[in-house]
Amino acid sequence: MSFARPRLLVGLQPYTRASNNTSHIYTALRARRLLSTSTYSRAPHGHQNPNLSSGLDERMHRHHETTPVYNAQGSEVDPYKDGPSALDKAVHLFFFTEIIRGMWVVFENIFRPPYTIMYPFEKGPLSPRFRGEHALRRYPSGEERCIACKLCEAICPAQAITIESEARADGSRRTTKYDIDMTKCIYCGFCQEACPVDAIVETQNQEFATETREELLYNKEKLLANGDRAEAEIAANLYSDHVYR
Amino acid sequence: MVSLARTIRNIRRVGLREWWKQMQYIGDAKSGRLVGADQFGNRYFENLNPEEEIPGMTRRTGRHRWMDFSQHSFNATQVPPEWHSWLQHIRKDPPTEDKVVQMLTPSWKGPWVENLTGTRGAYKPYNTAVPKIKAWEPKVAPRGS
Repeated sequence: MSFARPRLLVGLQPYTRASNNTSHIYTALRARRLLSTSTYSRAPHGHQNPNLSSGLDERMHRHHETTPVYNAQGSEVDPYKDGPSALDKAVHLFFFTEIIRGMWVVFENIFRPPYTIMYPFEKGPLSPRFRGEHALRRYPSGEERCIACKLCEAICPAQAITIESEARADGSRRTTKYDIDMTKCIYCGFCQEACPVDAIVETQNQEFATETREELLYNKEKLLANGDRAEAEIAANLYSDHVYR
Repeated sequence: MVSLARTIRNIRRVGLREWWKQMQYIGDAKSGRLVGADQFGNRYFENLNPEEEIPGMTRRTGRHRWMDFSQHSFNATQVPPEWHSWLQHIRKDPPTEDKVVQMLTPSWKGPWVENLTGTRGAYKPYNTAVPKIKAWEPKVAPRGS
């Protein structure tokens, strides 16, 4: 009969001050407390473990008269010979060992550092390629990058982008209207891939939820302001990824 | 419930006053190195000891970087983008030490504003181009001659 974890006291030993004899053993025991090194997280899951399958299909479709199995000598073979005995199964049933083992796992976690990420004080990892709120960038000189080529407008699968352009006083073509309907946008990132001058980008900002739908209809001023205040982050992310592009 | 030994250790490190503040906001006793503060007074902490805080990156559940808001009515968007990229583990170094972020910060960098939705400062969309449709202005020709 296998009862719970084989070494029940191991999880408590770092607290008893009895294991300070050799640092090697001490670190090994302390590492055991972490869930990442626990035997439970490394145990095979799902159907890899035959002991964990319910066998529902076989039980539903099995024939009620079981045919006895004979060996080569012609004598009947006991099919339960290799499995747990009836006494073992009864003990597990009547003493709730599975429940107690499950509760032991819960109890162990009291002594581990807590796992829950306390948003917004702590946040999970995010990729430098994360596609969040849009922004229009500027050149380091302060000149806006967008040249109104309308490639982003053409590639946008949700048709969320609307662009109108005009020649500026110095003769260069710039947009007079650059609207993104953020309620239509599906954040696929095609616009930033289509852009030849890296003008439209999706920043790492994902916290731009609004109370009204109207606030999500971004215009050019809003997008340029997004770019102006997050330029350092955008440029650093592009720099960290430039070798893969 | 958190580990009792961890809670007591962190209270002894940060002091009762700071612990009380932590319990009011983050709801957990944490201790670590003060990495820096941004222009709004938010403080950022780090504890890279895997025995004390869950390490990140491998299991995507890191708790080794956290922050303390300076305002009582805190909001996730009160974090400026440079510190946001540190807090979300996008950049390894904080912006006070990150040479790349410092080098790429332009002179025309705009001030960071938090998400003002629901307040009077909320963004309101408007047209940036000349309207194509003009209202009809009737012109009446003078009668007689």
